[in-house]
Amino acid sequence: MIYTKMIQALLALFLLAQTSTTAPGLSPQATQHLQAGVDAERQRDFETAIAEFRKVTELEPAAPTGFVRLGNAYMENHQYGEAVPPLKTALEQDPILPIAHQLLGYALLAQGYAAEAIPHLEKVGEVGALGIAQIQTGQASDAVSNLQAALMKSPKDPDLLFYLSQASEMLSQQSLDALTAADPKSSRTHQVRAHSYYVSHQFPEAEKEYEEALTLRPDVPGLHLELGEVYAATSQWVKAEEEFLAETRLQPGNAEAAFRLGDARLQEGKTKEALKELERADLLRPDMSDTLYSLGKAALLAGDSASAERAFTRVIALEKESALAAQAHYALAGLYRKQDKVQEAEREMQQFHRLQDHNGQR
Amino acid sequence: MITDRRERVSKALRVLALCLSMATVCLSAPSAAPVFHTTLPSGLDFTLQNSPTSFKFLIETMPGGVAFLDYNNDGLLDIFLVNGGRIASPTPEPDDFDRHDPRYWNRLYRQNRDGTFTDVTKQAGLANVGDGNYGMGVAVGDYDNDGYPDIYVTNFGKNILYHNNGDGTFTDVTAKAGVAGGGWSVSAGFLDYDNDGKLDLFVTRYLDWEMKLNKPCGVVTRQYCPPGEFPRVSNILYHNRGDGTFEDVSVKSGIAGKKGNGLGVAFADYDGDGFTDIFVSNDVVEQFLFHNNGDGTFTEQGLEAGVALTADGKKLSGMGVVFQDYDNDGRPDIVVTELPHQLQTVFHNDGHGVFSDQSLQTGLGVLSGTTSGWGLGLEDFDNDGWKDLFIVQSHVMDNVEKLDSSLHYLEPPLLALNHHGRFEQADAGSTTPIAGRGAAFGDLNNDGWIDVVTTQLGGHPQVFLNNGGKVHWLTITLRGTRSNRDGFGARVQVNGQTRFATAAGSYLSSNDKRLHFGLGSAETARIEVAWPSGIHQTLINIPSDRFLEILEPAEP
Repeated sequence: MIYTKMIQALLALFLLAQTSTTAPGLSPQATQHLQAGVDAERQRDFETAIAEFRKVTELEPAAPTGFVRLGNAYMENHQYGEAVPPLKTALEQDPILPIAHQLLGYALLAQGYAAEAIPHLEKVGEVGALGIAQIQTGQASDAVSNLQAALMKSPKDPDLLFYLSQASEMLSQQSLDALTAADPKSSRTHQVRAHSYYVSHQFPEAEKEYEEALTLRPDVPGLHLELGEVYAATSQWVKAEEEFLAETRLQPGNAEAAFRLGDARLQEGKTKEALKELERADLLRPDMSDTLYSLGKAALLAGDSASAERAFTRVIALEKESALAAQAHYALAGLYRKQDKVQEAEREMQQFHRLQDHNGQR
Repeated sequence: MITDRRERVSKALRVLALCLSMATVCLSAPSAAPVFHTTLPSGLDFTLQNSPTSFKFLIETMPGGVAFLDYNNDGLLDIFLVNGGRIASPTPEPDDFDRHDPRYWNRLYRQNRDGTFTDVTKQAGLANVGDGNYGMGVAVGDYDNDGYPDIYVTNFGKNILYHNNGDGTFTDVTAKAGVAGGGWSVSAGFLDYDNDGKLDLFVTRYLDWEMKLNKPCGVVTRQYCPPGEFPRVSNILYHNRGDGTFEDVSVKSGIAGKKGNGLGVAFADYDGDGFTDIFVSNDVVEQFLFHNNGDGTFTEQGLEAGVALTADGKKLSGMGVVFQDYDNDGRPDIVVTELPHQLQTVFHNDGHGVFSDQSLQTGLGVLSGTTSGWGLGLEDFDNDGWKDLFIVQSHVMDNVEKLDSSLHYLEPPLLALNHHGRFEQADAGSTTPIAGRGAAFGDLNNDGWIDVVTTQLGGHPQVFLNNGGKVHWLTITLRGTRSNRDGFGARVQVNGQTRFATAAGSYLSSNDKRLHFGLGSAETARIEVAWPSGIHQTLINIPSDRFLEILEPAEP
């Protein structure tokens, strides 16, 4: 992962190499070896390059160029440990040499010496690698900032996105730990524990913690919604409906709560009430696929084929190739079959099968 | 939109017509609460030996069946119970399951006049279950039309057909009949698919599996493997030649063309073409609806009919199945039992060969969230004119709590009363959690109220005796002459209710072949019988509260 960044750094050095083989101050013999090393590097013959650059350092022990080249060649040959001493020597000779800081930062990070790498990466503003190093040293907040900054330049870099998610998770955990430490009996602490139980499918424990949280602060937005989700996960739809209803009373503008309430009522077979709430959820936040799918189901059960068809068609337009789109095609096939629209039903079934194959569900 | 309105109006008119025909049932039906009490009648000392091991052999969690039959025609229902077998641990290859040991015998219990039972297994000639068989299910039908019910036992191994000799004994006629099957058979049932007056036989099969192919499954703890770990298999259809032998017509009928993980089977003529169709509940694959083409062949129509998948296009873990009309619209519907977080699915027959998933509308969404269903019955337990639902429950895995603390291996049964098409939970007479599997339904004590016998892994059967009430009922025994003698496949309508004559359905089990109807406060009944032979018969002003035998007329 961090190697992506390393390669970028090496490329930068490579560009530097194009102009520096004629670097002033080197003896003709050292320049010859330097050129031979650069040529070998271009041919990806790193062993030869290492040997040539080592000769440069022996001939010119006071010039940082040979040491930087040698460190670079080691890194290209994945010998990160061996790269460290020459790069450190280069920095002893020229403490502000950016390329040496950059390479040394990467070399140390690759070896797991994150704390040592950080000052070097900071010096050259290498924010991506710096963020990664900061995850390892537990500086979650700084890591998030730096990785976000790096993503401004490369928004789709999968490595950066991965590390940002790790850093965010760590930051979240640190915040939660701080919350728990600050007031272990607070409503929020119970909520945190409840969520943790919910995520690990320990539903009875989650239910208990949410109830504690609600006893302490019954008016906190989101608590009823989350407790309702616990009940929904265990198919206790009557209780789920009660909680979602409580949430919609607290937050009448919350589309998620309206959707969950409508869906719970749908599961209970309360078709008309479900339809009403799902329509409200759709108004609050249009084009939410889950709401539309449940809306289609509710309309279908209520005998309103036209509304059902509209809702499922909107799901397909939004979801295109997803599993939910496949479900919408299946629902449409059933609807058309019931209407004796054989060709339309067949077309939808074909789409359903195509998407099942596409999503590996068959 | 116009079509929708027409549909709604049409449905409203149908309901109105139904109410008019049922008169008192719709308008003033007394709501007699079904009150079961559980009991273990004296003499019914059976224990289902499934022999669970740490190796989690799949067969361990699947038995066993139970049948209601009157084997000696004394007017009292007797009980046949299928046993598993001994699984040695570690298992020798091949394992013979020690079926010669009486602990592992299947058992036939004769009902005595005082409601007690006598074990007649040995004297009836049913002690011999062969070598290498681990018992699964049972089907009952009078395949030779001699007036005595015969017994077919399914096994992991070879199946057995016992011919009822009419003198209290049975003879193993498997070899002569040619119905041994093989592999892993599960549920079976007798039906007359070609309306030739002779009962044919359908057998579901689960997996291409052997003891030696068992493998470790599970991450946190060892579990029973999901069926997807093993190849699918086809089901078997045997055609009754009428000379005591059967022909395996699985291939030429088209049945073998579809491979699945068959567990349950039920029969009904869903499209009203006069030929019995077959529904097979499959575990984790698409459900099969074999449409009977009327020429000896079948076409699998599950997807086209809308019964292969749930309303969300998802696969079901189909276990048991029943194929009867729950909403009194005259068409057979399908209810399939499943694993938790899948609803017990109700496929409503919308007519024209199309079904719709109405699990939510019928209220099963709130009744079946975290439970697992096996054997089931759609029977009118409170005699109010609407068929109710009884489901035997338990998870497949005996260690499921370790994986999900909201689920339970042992569960009590579910009784859900039908209130005009919507099911609501009622007192099942037992809250004791058990590892329930098979279930058979019938009027065990001939009091006009439907009773239930269930099986449980490692335990005694549970008998749910219906305490009854004051409303009326009618129980019909069909006696076919041109049609098969049991009348299987006939459509019988009484005061607006419809039953499709069959002993099949549930899981691994065979029900009382008599057709029971709750009449509410109606004191008379109008009966219409559409026999498989094509003969239609109408009886009017039949007094309620009686057992009635209807003989098929010789001429239309």
